[in-house]
Amino acid sequence: MVTAKKMKKYLELINFRLQLVMKSGKYVLGYKQTLKIIRHGKAKLVILTNNCSALRKSETEYHAVLAKTGVHHYKGNNIELSTACRKHYRVCTLSITDPGDTDIIISLEAYQNRLVKNKTIFFFNKIWL
Amino acid sequence: MALSSFLLWAGLFAAEMGKFMKPEKVVLVLARCYSTHKAVIVKNIDDGTSDRPYSHALVAGIDHYPRKVTAAMGKKKITKRSKIKSFVKVYNYSRLMPTRYSVDIPLDKTVVNTDVFRDPPLKCKARQEARVKFEERYKTGKNKWFFQKLQF
Repeated sequence: MVTAKKMKKYLELINFRLQLVMKSGKYVLGYKQTLKIIRHGKAKLVILTNNCSALRKSETEYHAVLAKTGVHHYKGNNIELSTACRKHYRVCTLSITDPGDTDIIISLEAYQNRLVKNKTIFFFNKIWL
Repeated sequence: MALSSFLLWAGLFAAEMGKFMKPEKVVLVLARCYSTHKAVIVKNIDDGTSDRPYSHALVAGIDHYPRKVTAAMGKKKITKRSKIKSFVKVYNYSRLMPTRYSVDIPLDKTVVNTDVFRDPPLKCKARQEARVKFEERYKTGKNKWFFQKLQF
C-alpha cells in the first residue's frame, strides 16, 4: 500500500531527525524506561515499532493518551529502529524527553496531519460517490 | 464514525503533556493479592523517599466489591449486599495501571497516610475511613465503574 517512493521520503524524514536526537537531545530506550518517563510526564514523543507486541503497544498508547503525549508508529521493526538510532541492540519502544536541536516532534505532527487530511479527503470522496 | 476516530487519532498529537498519577485517579492494582482490584490514589510520591527510593503511591482500594442488587430485594438484604471491604496500601507505580477515570472522594489525610503502616490499629482506622467513604459514594449511585468488579 505504501509506495517505495513514499517509504523513502518517510525514512529520510525520520531517520535523520532520530540520529540528531541521539546526538543532541535526551531520550530513553526500552519499554520499562519509556513507561516510567511517561508516568512522570516528561516524555514529549513516544515511538513504537511495527513489531512491538500488541499488548505492549496498547498499554504504551493508553499511558501516552493519559499524559497527552504523542505516539508515533515507526514504519519499521525493532532492528530498523535501532539502526536508525545507531545502537547495537534492538529497540522496540523509545521516548524522546528533549528533542535538542531537531524539530522531530513538529515535523512528525505535520506528517501525521497530512496523512489524516489525505485520508479524510479520501473518505469524503468515497461518500460523495 | 470513521471521521471521529481519525480526529481522535490526530488529537493524540496534542502539544501539552502532563503527569496523570495524581490524587483522585483510579488505578488498577496489578500486584499479587489485590491484582485487578480498583483503587484511588490518595497520595503520590514521585521522587521516592529514603525507605522507598522509587516513585510510589498510597492508594485506597476495594477488597470486596459490593454484591449485585436488584429491585426485587428487600431493604435489609440490599444493605447487607452493599457492604464494601477496603484496603489501604503503598504501591510502586509499576505495580499500578492508571485508567482514565477519577473519583473525587475526600479521604481524610490525617487518617489515611503513609504512617499508618507501622501501627496495626492506625491501619485499621484508615481502612475504616476508606470503607465508610466508599459506601457513602456507592449509595449515591455515582462512579458506577469504580464499584464494579473488573470482568475479564
